[in-house]
Amino acid sequence: MNLEALFQQIYDSSLAGTIRENTEAFPWIESLHVLAITIVFGTIMIVDLRLLGYQSHRRGARQLINELLPYTWVAFVAAVITGALLFTSNAVAYSHNSAFQWKMVAIVAAGINMGIFHLTAHRRIVDWDDALPTPMAARVAGLSSLALWTLVIFLGRWIGFTLSVFF
Amino acid sequence: MSLKDSLQSFGDQLYETPFSTMLREITWIIPTAQSIHILAIATVIGSALVSDLRLAGVIATDESPATVVRRYLPWMWTSLIILLLTGSLLVIAEPARTLANTVFWTKMVLVLGAFALTLFFRKPLLNPEFRVEHARWWAAAKPAAWLSLIIWVAIIFCGRWIAYT
Repeated sequence: MNLEALFQQIYDSSLAGTIRENTEAFPWIESLHVLAITIVFGTIMIVDLRLLGYQSHRRGARQLINELLPYTWVAFVAAVITGALLFTSNAVAYSHNSAFQWKMVAIVAAGINMGIFHLTAHRRIVDWDDALPTPMAARVAGLSSLALWTLVIFLGRWIGFTLSVFF
Repeated sequence: MSLKDSLQSFGDQLYETPFSTMLREITWIIPTAQSIHILAIATVIGSALVSDLRLAGVIATDESPATVVRRYLPWMWTSLIILLLTGSLLVIAEPARTLANTVFWTKMVLVLGAFALTLFFRKPLLNPEFRVEHARWWAAAKPAAWLSLIIWVAIIFCGRWIAYT
């Protein structure tokens, strides 16, 4: 089965129909999506700035990451679930929207960036935990993460202004 | 003339101004202002989450509340200014959507509430002489921290609902 048919099938599902037809469902899910995104970005930003060398409320980077990452993950899962529900309601239109497509690419890139950080600088974090300046690999990861998540937020907002069903 | 009618006619006049028209006609301005608005509220949420959860005794209890507040309060003030500036642009661009909207005014009251809570329960901690554990309102600090988080969440919900009411 090709993707086009899959998205059409998602669009035709009863869940999608319920979200489309209930005028209050979309804004409620969207509000939860925005809340989840602000927690994801807000907590990741604190860690990214620490990776760039800006002090947080913790002296060490390791403790800060351990303390905030659970909040980031819970919020990220909430953002994915609410985002998937919003996508479902108009699967075909979203899948054709270039802002949406680029947003997905940017999220994957942010994930790869995080993966690289965990496999490189984070493995040796006990060596640079409270040392400043932070290692180059940590700074590159922090700056890339800030840039990519900012891009994700811009692209997300752009969907709302370019999606055909809203006009 | 009722308050709502006055706001409506003020909004209509604002809509006709060249500045308001320009904000709408240059199509990237509104989505850009909204994106910056979301980035700034995310900064507030990140800062408020760590500060309020510390004051509520949930995280970083081995660090003093003052350390946490001193780190994040300046971010909150800067973000608040960015929120007011970008928010103003959005109101000027589409006055009808906001000025005559109950959800918008509810949001403004909530913002004032969150601002007052922050000013009263956080700002004193910037003073190195101040010992929050000895403050007369220390017993209220924990409920105030939870209330502050709830208000910020409500502000986000109102923000999104303005577009639908």
